[in-house]
This record gives sequence, structure tokens and C-alpha cells, in this order.
Amino acid sequence: MKSAFRSAICATLTFSLRSLNPTPHRTSLILLPRYVVCFAGKPSPFTSMATGESGSVAPPSPTVHTLEKQFEEFRHQLDDSGSLRERIRSVALEIESANRLMQSSLLLIHQSRPVPEVLEKAKGQIVVLRELFSKLAEIIRECPGQYYRYHGDWRTETQTVVSLLAFMHWLETESLLLHAEAEEKLGLNPMEFGLDTEDYLIGICFMSNDLPRYVVNQVTAGDYDCPRKVLKFLTDLHSAFRMLNLRNDFLRKKFDGMKYDLRKVEEVQYDVKIRGLATNGKSKGEQGD
Amino acid sequence: MLAAAAKKPRTLTTNAADSEPNTMKDAFAKYASYLNDLNEKRERVVKASRDITMNSKKVIFQVHRISKHNKEEVLEKAEKDLAAVMDQHISRLVKELQGTDFWKLRRAYSPGVQEYVEAATLCNFCKNGTLLDLDEINASLRVLSDSTVEPLQINVLDYLLGIADLTGELMRLAIGRISDGELEFAQKICRFVREIYRELTLIAPKMDDSYDMKTKMDVMLQSVIKVENACFSVHVRGSEYIPFLGSEDASFSLLGVPDDE
Repeated sequence: MKSAFRSAICATLTFSLRSLNPTPHRTSLILLPRYVVCFAGKPSPFTSMATGESGSVAPPSPTVHTLEKQFEEFRHQLDDSGSLRERIRSVALEIESANRLMQSSLLLIHQSRPVPEVLEKAKGQIVVLRELFSKLAEIIRECPGQYYRYHGDWRTETQTVVSLLAFMHWLETESLLLHAEAEEKLGLNPMEFGLDTEDYLIGICFMSNDLPRYVVNQVTAGDYDCPRKVLKFLTDLHSAFRMLNLRNDFLRKKFDGMKYDLRKVEEVQYDVKIRGLATNGKSKGEQGD
Repeated sequence: MLAAAAKKPRTLTTNAADSEPNTMKDAFAKYASYLNDLNEKRERVVKASRDITMNSKKVIFQVHRISKHNKEEVLEKAEKDLAAVMDQHISRLVKELQGTDFWKLRRAYSPGVQEYVEAATLCNFCKNGTLLDLDEINASLRVLSDSTVEPLQINVLDYLLGIADLTGELMRLAIGRISDGELEFAQKICRFVREIYRELTLIAPKMDDSYDMKTKMDVMLQSVIKVENACFSVHVRGSEYIPFLGSEDASFSLLGVPDDE
């Protein structure tokens, strides 16, 4: 019996050896009946061939070797990209903590601290961020063209960066931080490691979310002109966003949320105006809105 | 009042904001055209991917029409159809996926490419009994691009995801072969599928978005078990299958007789 079993293995072995040969081989099928003879003729349930058959008994066939070799190669490749990702993630974590520092200094704006003072402190983190983004760019340089493979690992952090920078920019200039300006602030080279346009736009939406709170607190602190300015800015921004054909994605959702920011600011502006708090000479010329 | 003093320094800059709506509009016009281009491109890629999927599926069905006696012709047709998928549909991806778009749009084309890998490896296994490796597939894709464009090269992840799906097809093939009496072939599939599963267990957790692969691994294990159980049934009740083998080969008459003792 045992020898019959062996010959069956031999048959499979030659079969696999042949199968390395790319030319089709009918002959192999002729071996089949012989194999079945010993196979079906040994119904002993103790040495079940179906579960412990040739694969584990016989030395692995050449097919298995080439298979193993290829998969080993994949394993190396994936290990490499895995460690690259680890490095990216650690930089992303650093970006996140820089964001937090920047945000916490920026939050003082709600306690009506003077703008220049608040900005100065928050701006301290921009240098750190530039450094971190150049680190990211350096890592990505190791795998040209794969920016978007790892993009997900710094996406949300970058969106937050944009929202903070845009808010600071607005406080300073009352204008929108444009995409190219954001790249410049972060020291990014768009040819190599740019700021993804969608990330930028999402960041801008995040910034818009912060504005209602800012307006409310400014008015509480006695700055009655603030709602008008913010409302004008948000109205312009909202109408600019309406130029975009958005897909049904996250950006679309954020953009849809922007109208609630707009409404909230409108309400504040209404409250201020109806009580005659906003009347002063400076803003008369633009009272049309 | 108090407020006037607080806001004065800031309102000085409002003049700068007057010109802003235009620069903002200009900038957003740029973003809009960027998004439009991107979405159109994505749409084209998705369409190509869908065509690749559909036609690769047809190839897979063709392979399943295999039987003991028509192996050559069935595979010949399958290979011809597969080549047509490459020429007509995968070629559409080459121009779209230059540079960073290859990874940016991966989600748009990945299903099609996986299906193609599945079809190509299935054909190759039936013909040669080996796993068509990624380098071979990528080498065959080189003909789609001339020197002016980067060649489209399937990435490891899509290849492995395709291989994971391949095991499901091989399971079906094995079951079909068993009922057709090609036990040796079924055994071979069993060994092959088992080996793939074993190799992939090491690789699956390392893959970029391993969640997708994890579910595929579970399905794959089910396929492997199905093939093993089928082989087991034939093995244990081997002799009962003889009448259904329908083979004209004379040696089958010996099957009922135990060859030891």
C-alpha cells in the first residue's frame, strides 16, 4: 500500500515539475487514473489523504518554492512601506501636537485678548509646522509618486493646520488665506509635496465653523462691528464655495454645514443691529448688506 | 464707547478686504476647474474599471466551462478574451493614472484591476498549474504604453487582493472538477489554494488598508475548507464516486477492488 501511495506522490511531483514548463501538457492528465487507483483503493480513514495528503508529506513542489519566493518579496515590500508609514504617522502626531499648541494660544481670542498678542504667540508654531512638513516631504521623496498612498495619514492634521492658519490670516487681514498662500506659509513646494486642494477647502470649512463662536464672544466683549465684518466675509466665502461642483463626499458635507455658520452670524448681526448697537460712523458706508 | 477703542486698530485694514471678493472668486474658479477635472477623470477611471470587471468576469465564467476534454479550446478562448480586456479597457487607464494619480485614484480603479488579476491568474493556473506572478502581469502590461507615458504597473496591494478572490474561483473550479471526475486536478487546486492561504496569512496584516484583506482572508479560509472537505469526501467515499466518473478509461474498473491484501 505504502509504495502505491509513494508512486502517487511521484506522479504528482512529476506533474508539478512539468507544470513549470509553460507549454501545455496533455500527458499529465493521463497520469490521473493511476493516481485514482491507489487513492480510491485505500479507504482507510486513519491516514486520510484528503487532510494530510501529499502537500505535507512530500517535499514541497517547485511551484511552492516560486510561490514562496514571490510572497517573501511582497513581505519585504510591505514591511518597507509599513515602516515608511510608521515614520509618517509619527510626524503626523507631531503636527497634531503643534496644532494643539497653536489652537490653545488662538483660543485666547475668545477671551477678547488683543489680536496682535494672540497672533504672535500662535505664530510661534508655524515655524515648527514648517519643519514638520519638510520632514514629511523628505519621507515622501523616498517613494516618488506615492504621495496619495500615504495621504490619509496626514490628511486630518493638515486640514486642521489650514483651518488655524486661515483663521489667523483672517484676524490679521480680514481676507481669505488662499491655497497658494497656505502652501507658502507652510513652506511647501507644490511640485514635490503640495497641499491637496480638497484638504485646503475642508480646512477652510473648519475655519468657518469657528467664526460664529468668535462673533458671539466679540459682541459680548463689546465689539459690535465684528458681526458685520464676519458676515460679509462668510457670505463671500459661501458664494465662492458655491462655484464648486462637489461630489457627495466629506467636503460636500462640510460645505453644507457652512450655511449654519452663516445663519448664526446673521442672527448675531440682526440682534446687534436691531438694538442699534452697530450704528457708528465707520461702518455706515457699508451698511447696505 | 469702550468698543470703539477695541475695534479701531482692526478696522483700519478693512480697505484691503474690499478687493478680496475678486481674488477669492478667481482663486475659487481655479479650485473649481481643478475639482471638475479631477471628478471627470475619476469618472472615466471608474467606467474603465467597471468595464474591466465586467469583461474579466466573463473570462472567469469561460474558464469554468472547462471540462476534461475541452481544456485547450476553453482556455484558448479565455486567454483571447483576457487579452481583449487588456487591449480595450486596461489601456484606458494608462493615460489617466500618470504620476500621483496612480495612488490618488486607486479606489476608483482597484476593483477592476483586482478582477483582472483574478481572471489572469485563474487562466494561468488552469493552463500551467502555477501562480502567475505580479512581475509577469506587469510585463504584459508594458505593451500598452509607449515611451511617452509611464507604463501602468499593478501595485502589490491590488494584486494580493485579486489573489485573495482567486481562491474563491478556484474553490468553484475544484468542486466542478470533482463532479467531473478530475480528482487529480481538484487535489492540485487544494494544495495550491492552501499554499496561497498560508502565504497570505503572513502578508495580510501588513497591507495598507488591512481591513479589506481581513474579510477576504475569512472568506478565503472558508473556500479552502470547502475544497478540503470535497477532497475528503471523495477520498473517504472514493469508490462510491466511480459510477459517476463517466470515464471511458478501462483502469477504472479496478477501482472497486482493494489493491492491498
